[in-house]
Amino acid sequence: MASGVYFCDIKGKPILSRRYRDDISISAIDNFAPLLFELEEESSVIPPCLSHRDVQYMFIQHEDLYVVAISTSLQTNAAQIFTFLHKLVAVLGDYLKTVEEESVRDNFVIIYELLDEMMDYGIPQITETKMLKQYITQKSFKLVKAVKKVKAVARPPTTLTNSVSWRAEGITYKKNEAFLDMVESVNMLMTHQGQVLRSEIIGQVKVKSRLSGMPDLKLGINDRGIFSKITSDVVNDGEPSSITSGKKKLNVELEDLKFHQCVRLSKFENEKIITFIPPDGDFELMSYRLTTPVKPLIWCDVNVQVHSQSRIEIHCRAKAQIKKKTIANNVEILIPVPDDADTPSFKYSHGSIKWVPEKSAILWKIRSFSGGKEYSMAAQMGLPSISGNEKPKFKRPVQVKFQIPYFTTSGINVRYLKITEPKLQYKSYPWVRYITQSGDDYTIRLN
Amino acid sequence: MSDHKIFTRYKANEIRAELQSFEVKKSKVSANKRKDGLKKIIANLTLGNYNEMAYLAPEILKFWKIEDDLEVKRICHEYVRSFGIVNPKNTVEALPFILNDLKNRNEKIQIMALKTLVAVPSAEFIDEASRIIPSFVNRRSVPPDVTRTAIYALKRLDEVNHDRVVECLPFLLELIQRENVDPIIHVAALNTLNSIHESNPNLQPLKLSMETAFNSLDLLQTLNEWDKALVLDALTISAVPGSHEDAYEMIDIVLPQLQHVNTFVALNAFKFIAYLLNYVDSVNESLIKRFSNSIISLLNKPPELQFLVLRNVILLLLSRDVPLLNLDVSYFFIEFTDPIFIKDTKLECLYLLANEETLPRILEELEQYATDIDIQMSRKAIRAIGNLAVKLKHHSASECVTALLDLLEFGVEYVVQEIISVFRNILRKHPSEFKSCIKDLVKYTDSVQEPESKNAMIWIITNYSDNMSNYLQIFQIFSSKFLEETLDVQFSILNSSVKFFVRDPNPKTEKICMQMLKSCTEDSNNPDLRNRAFMYWSLLSLAQTDKAHLLSNESLKNILDGELPVIELNTKLDPVILEELELNIGTIASIYLKPVSQIFRNTRPRYLLPSPALNKSRGQLKILHDTKNWNNLESLDTLHEDFSNNRSDKSAHKKSMMNDYDKPAETVNQLKGKRKSSSTSPSKLSRKPSMLVRKLSIRKPFS
Repeated sequence: MASGVYFCDIKGKPILSRRYRDDISISAIDNFAPLLFELEEESSVIPPCLSHRDVQYMFIQHEDLYVVAISTSLQTNAAQIFTFLHKLVAVLGDYLKTVEEESVRDNFVIIYELLDEMMDYGIPQITETKMLKQYITQKSFKLVKAVKKVKAVARPPTTLTNSVSWRAEGITYKKNEAFLDMVESVNMLMTHQGQVLRSEIIGQVKVKSRLSGMPDLKLGINDRGIFSKITSDVVNDGEPSSITSGKKKLNVELEDLKFHQCVRLSKFENEKIITFIPPDGDFELMSYRLTTPVKPLIWCDVNVQVHSQSRIEIHCRAKAQIKKKTIANNVEILIPVPDDADTPSFKYSHGSIKWVPEKSAILWKIRSFSGGKEYSMAAQMGLPSISGNEKPKFKRPVQVKFQIPYFTTSGINVRYLKITEPKLQYKSYPWVRYITQSGDDYTIRLN
Repeated sequence: MSDHKIFTRYKANEIRAELQSFEVKKSKVSANKRKDGLKKIIANLTLGNYNEMAYLAPEILKFWKIEDDLEVKRICHEYVRSFGIVNPKNTVEALPFILNDLKNRNEKIQIMALKTLVAVPSAEFIDEASRIIPSFVNRRSVPPDVTRTAIYALKRLDEVNHDRVVECLPFLLELIQRENVDPIIHVAALNTLNSIHESNPNLQPLKLSMETAFNSLDLLQTLNEWDKALVLDALTISAVPGSHEDAYEMIDIVLPQLQHVNTFVALNAFKFIAYLLNYVDSVNESLIKRFSNSIISLLNKPPELQFLVLRNVILLLLSRDVPLLNLDVSYFFIEFTDPIFIKDTKLECLYLLANEETLPRILEELEQYATDIDIQMSRKAIRAIGNLAVKLKHHSASECVTALLDLLEFGVEYVVQEIISVFRNILRKHPSEFKSCIKDLVKYTDSVQEPESKNAMIWIITNYSDNMSNYLQIFQIFSSKFLEETLDVQFSILNSSVKFFVRDPNPKTEKICMQMLKSCTEDSNNPDLRNRAFMYWSLLSLAQTDKAHLLSNESLKNILDGELPVIELNTKLDPVILEELELNIGTIASIYLKPVSQIFRNTRPRYLLPSPALNKSRGQLKILHDTKNWNNLESLDTLHEDFSNNRSDKSAHKKSMMNDYDKPAETVNQLKGKRKSSSTSPSKLSRKPSMLVRKLSIRKPFS
């Protein structure tokens, strides 16, 4: 349980605070800035959890803000607090667009209201923006004088106490649509020789629902864990379409499925069916992880030769190891160079290359990279003739970014998305998109 | 209007004038202006401008009376709450208004009033709160949101008026047991009851009947994510399974929650299951797999949560001899972009995960980090390699030593320092195995700079002087600059010079020894060093003189140059503390790995409540290797293949064609060849949570 939540500026000075419990002194937060300062002096390691005189400070950083929660007990659940703080920033982001010192100061009234509503005695309450927006509106300055009206405005929506706490009743759209985005991020760590040290695929299924009423959705995907039963049923029925077409069975095994709170987990556990009543608007329905080994989708063979005190030569061969018909877009290859390198000269056949001195790297951009193609580049940069005794060593890895539309690495795809609204019975349109992209860590180590 | 204008310091009469000028007119505009004025008061309170704002209490009360607007009410309550803490006496006048608001028909205002009532620490407020809040909890006609607020208010009231709250506890318990209570009230009551019991050591630990516990678990479906986690948190410890069957049943119900996207829920589900495992005799391997997978996927969260999860991984790795987790080391490889606190924690995990099997991969990684551009990181990696050499058996230790020697050739200054430092520990653990390395190390005598590595080097030279012919020459590098060294290095030099002399009394060693004793006693300013030198001196002279029978040469050697015990790295924690920490998974205590009771004496540490099903020790839990399910899975696979082979074109089934890049390729140069099975076993029976089925079912562990 948090005893208080504080927004502090970059130096750790409080801008805005909300105390939920009495067990901390008002001045407790004043120790935060010196604590931060002290730790920064001492070492560069600042863990997100500090302790000072039996007061625990837990914080996250966002833009130029520290969002701090204070608690006095070691039994306080840190998972709760960190999750809540991240959620809080996300909700504020929905309200204020950007969450930074300036916007926090500009909107303190609404933030107070939100803090009041989202947490109670240090226990998180409603944290869904859509639900909060029903009675905390940006323009809360309107005068509501009459008692009757006050009631109408102030009454929390009945849904708060409903079993479906994430969706309000009475939503209507002219055209009922649901958009499904299957996004797979590939994280890979490779050695210079092409040995894959680690590869994982992190998949997300994002949904944008624009549906009226209380729709019940049923999602079918070709996961083996989920669908083994059903596919064998299909075979037994002798249904021709899936067999005679000679299609390979793309049954994928997903690990660590994580679901949004709207998914009926016990139903999934028992019957392996994903059913849910979606919240309105954008949300992440589920995420999964796969550790099946995959070939590097974009492989770069980077060769760096350092002629100390004169120049550095970089040769890079990039290959798109994907199907011929698919295209990787916005490929960016970031190759590190020594901090003191200068006067770059490049030779290349495709894309564009520039030197990014602030990152000490050269950036090779290729707008579209068809499967099976192989491009190469060569760069040469000067090194200062005078240098210290130490040989220039830079252990930073090569980072690669890309996007591949209409394609999932794991082979997962949507079999069906059924939408039923028992009362309204409207026609609805599900849309599905696939995209594979590089994750945060798609890197190739240099020697 | 932007709030920015509001957020500046004002004088009390400025605001008062503003409020008064708009008081009369009833138009919308002036009402808005009035509100802006009130907002300025609150803004100034946040800025800490208490003294000025204290004058405005009458204004606040005036508006409280006449305005019915929700926002004005909010501001008034906020004013009382902030002032109540600083100066409780000044706010007593507002009490009647608050009580009046409690009777308001609007739920929102009632809730506000309840919160304000318990926020002010003055006697009048507490009296009123003690009178009113229990009645709110008891009344059935109150809307659920208000009841919930009242229940939570009890928690706060407990801090000031414990006796009154104790009277309400039976009622809370009844609320939990009652059927058809609104779920949110159920959760609030459960949570409040639990935390009151926990924060008052004079109360018995809360223990719920099995039926109540199952009722709470059945509610999980309908709750929002935060409440879900609260239920799981409260049930840990308080729901004591009477039999293994109960425990299995509860594990089954909670298991799906591991897949919740909210880390709070997932970790609490994890904690609850880990707790229940103390009450079962065996678990299936598939559970371990699910555990591990859910932990790994939590590592893809923001850095703070990742940090928390990693700390808990450390806890879980430490806590049992047969760990509940079966993790692949590659998840703990450090990324270039990781924040430093994550890198540190990952290193610790790697250290704990290292065993004979995983060592080669881990060493390869650590060697990478050791040549990292970040000096801190590099040092820590070397330290980790050194610790591994101490932790592991001979063969693995020698692998570590080889790695260190490779790094030594790298020759960078701080790497050398660190390697010398860790080598001392390695040699103390394996005194005779790595003698051959000594001469490689000694080559770097000139380049050691830091006190710690100097100490280590001196220790190595002293202890392995037999292996070197020129040890005195090397030693003189240190002894010649004796006075420039830091105190602890001076101590080492003194000790070693005396040891050399005692071991092999000859003119050379005597000269050095006397020189050191002299410098210490005559030139040094430090009394400790001086005293030590005097002590050695008198010991030595005692042995030299005719009183030698009092102190034989043998015993002199024993005193000055005795054998040191072999060191062990102690990573094990006390089992009682581990038990408590395991019940605190996800809390701050789990980050520091310190028991709660060590820091807060007034909170009761968590411990396992007795039950016939409770395991006597945690080593008792057996993990069943479930071969049956595997076979099923396998046969299912072959079934699929059979079908496709029979029906479809053969050529389409050749393994991974050349242009088939999107397929997981079989022959990737992958380091880990382990095949993961699906996280859920397909043959699991579906279970209905109704009481009847529960009673009738005959259970085997995870059939």
